[in-house]
Amino acid sequence: MTDWNAMADGDFRREVRAFFEAEYPPHLRYILRRARWHEMRDWWRKLDDKGWIAPNWPREWGGMALDAGKMVIYLEELERHGIARAPDQGITQVGPLIMRFGTDAQQAHYLPRTRSAEYIWCQGYSEPNAGSDLAALQTAAVAEGDHFVVNGQKIWTTLADDATHIYLLARTDKTAKKQSGISFLIADLKTPGITLRPIRNLAGHDEFCQVFFDNVRVPRGNLVGALNDGWTVAKALLGFERLGIGSPRRPQYALQRLERVARAKGLLDDAGFADRFVALKLDLEDGAALYGRFVEQVKRGEALGPEVSMLKIWTMETWQRLAELLVEAGDEQGVVAGVHDVAGVETDFLNPFYYSRPATIYGGSSEIQRNILAKYVLKLPS
Amino acid sequence: MTRINLAAVPNAEHRRMLADSVADFTARGTDIARVRRLRGTREEYDRAVWEQMAGFGWLGILVPESYGGLGLGLTEMAIVAKGLARALTPEPLTATAVLAATALVAGENEALKRESLPRLVSGALQPVLAWQEAPGELDPGNAQARAAPFEGGYRLNGTKRYMPGAAQADAFLVSAQSGGTLALFWLPKDTAGLRFGLETLADGRCFGTLDMRDAHVPQSALVARGIAAREALDRAFDFGATIAGAELAGVMERALEMTLDYLKTRIQFGKPIGAFQALQHRAVDLHIQKELANAVLDEALAAMDGGAKAATRAALASRVKARCADAALKITREAIQLHGAIGFTDEYDAGLFLKRAMTLAAWLGNANWHRRRYAGLTLCGKAEGKPAGGDL
Repeated sequence: MTDWNAMADGDFRREVRAFFEAEYPPHLRYILRRARWHEMRDWWRKLDDKGWIAPNWPREWGGMALDAGKMVIYLEELERHGIARAPDQGITQVGPLIMRFGTDAQQAHYLPRTRSAEYIWCQGYSEPNAGSDLAALQTAAVAEGDHFVVNGQKIWTTLADDATHIYLLARTDKTAKKQSGISFLIADLKTPGITLRPIRNLAGHDEFCQVFFDNVRVPRGNLVGALNDGWTVAKALLGFERLGIGSPRRPQYALQRLERVARAKGLLDDAGFADRFVALKLDLEDGAALYGRFVEQVKRGEALGPEVSMLKIWTMETWQRLAELLVEAGDEQGVVAGVHDVAGVETDFLNPFYYSRPATIYGGSSEIQRNILAKYVLKLPS
Repeated sequence: MTRINLAAVPNAEHRRMLADSVADFTARGTDIARVRRLRGTREEYDRAVWEQMAGFGWLGILVPESYGGLGLGLTEMAIVAKGLARALTPEPLTATAVLAATALVAGENEALKRESLPRLVSGALQPVLAWQEAPGELDPGNAQARAAPFEGGYRLNGTKRYMPGAAQADAFLVSAQSGGTLALFWLPKDTAGLRFGLETLADGRCFGTLDMRDAHVPQSALVARGIAAREALDRAFDFGATIAGAELAGVMERALEMTLDYLKTRIQFGKPIGAFQALQHRAVDLHIQKELANAVLDEALAAMDGGAKAATRAALASRVKARCADAALKITREAIQLHGAIGFTDEYDAGLFLKRAMTLAAWLGNANWHRRRYAGLTLCGKAEGKPAGGDL
């Protein structure tokens, strides 16, 4: 087996890039929505056959065991080629959590099936009354013999209808303080009592679902980590997620689209437009310089602190402003659905706008990120 | 005053030592009372403090060792400029040790370099670059001043403006059109035909104005001509704009610290005002601007010290100046607002930071000017693949 971490960075990057360019289906590059499982199945198989589906996993579970520096390169190359995210939460989220907190039996059962995509995962965290204030969640799991009986509902569950399994946070002790009475459970979505209702978003896509639990019997063996310690389990991943979310790649792609349209329509000769365009371009490039600092930190093997929240705020808000300007650049065409021919440049004005909209809401809203920075970085009082 | 042999220790270590010595100097060698005392005076700065700075070797950071300097890079100069700007030090580091020193070093007059650079480094001679003539006109090629051949030398006519740090200048590096090309000349202050004036700036420093009427200099006063003069001026401008960005970074950093301290200690409605979410989020946005400014600055400094080519260097300098100017203005304006009425008093220091940010932002191209230059350098013109406006 290749020791990827022993390779020179440039060689590794070239090998990853070559494979992605040769094998990834071109029609799925830079799609402006979440990819569905039926579209991504073949690509998953290809990656898995090559041993590349789980770059962050250790060897013993069939991963590439990449260190932080190589991991950054792998992710950069995925983004560079515009490769869509498969329903990958098993690889990025629940897999690593099971490795860290799960029992031997859980690891032996779930990890191989997750890697092969026999099990596809969705995340059951948010609830109608527990969004930014996640610890206010009310879905209850009551121990009854060797099962938990789960009642409640989850919402904004991305691609639940493509998933076979859900990992969820449920309240197992109603008397304890907010964060301390929560447990981390996993459930097969075919378990009786679970129903899904797709939710259509502003773009017209059914990317997320509401998930209802009505007297759902979940085996006690599906508890990951200690009882009432689910908050610790769920929090274990948040740092790296915010770096990935703060990557400038998607807004850079939006900027390229905007520049092509602006050029095709002669908008760069309009001083007012050109000033706004270049200000946004600089906002993005300066944000990329900031991103570069955090990447260097990860490559040095240092943990990311709460400072990384600023990256998510800046990248996502800049992305939205770019997408807004693209709609404006389209004039009347900018609000007509579909792909337009703008002086030879194929352009969809609305989808980039919709795609960027929830970016300041998911993964911790911009307001929550600002709260985090105020408290933990600026040390402002509460 | 020990002069450390910085070249003998590794980068990270010598940069830390340099930052420490600047912090130590600003803690003991200058204070806000001195800054206030010098505001609006015709001295503008304190020559004794200037000589102390020279004693540390800071004036020679960009001067090669063969001319008595330290032969270090912009990264080191930025550390010094940022640290001094945190204390609003009015001494003309960027005007003389960056703009004038860079132009002189890039020039072709070897005898002049041997004679004047060691004296610049020691603080004995304080030259400034006299190149700009009209507000917002930042292309050195558009100089209107003329240098005509006269009695084996040159006779100069024209007016140079917007020179900070010129109040006590001993010499001027003057750009002028000469025989159909751009040229750069060395004019000692006592050259016959010079008239010098001062305009007081918002922050109490001055812009110098140099009026030349048949100012006569010998042939040996020619510093560079043609492409060499143009390159010397372009390089000096980009380095100057970048280090002015570092000064802005120092100003914004200290102004934000003051503001955060105030948010933590000012009690209203029974709690520190920094506990209110509306103010917390504003403070966070200022912090993000400061971090963006530092990220761009560090990226640009590393690239320039790595020998970035002229067009890249110009684009980087413009990124730095645009971001640092806007961020410093936003932070220092918000510093006033978040302090409330006390922030609007002259006795409170927040206003000094706002006014320094304003003068630094306006000098060597404001944010809008730099964004437009950046657009010209980086956006391809209508002819596919051909850069438009990239005149460097």
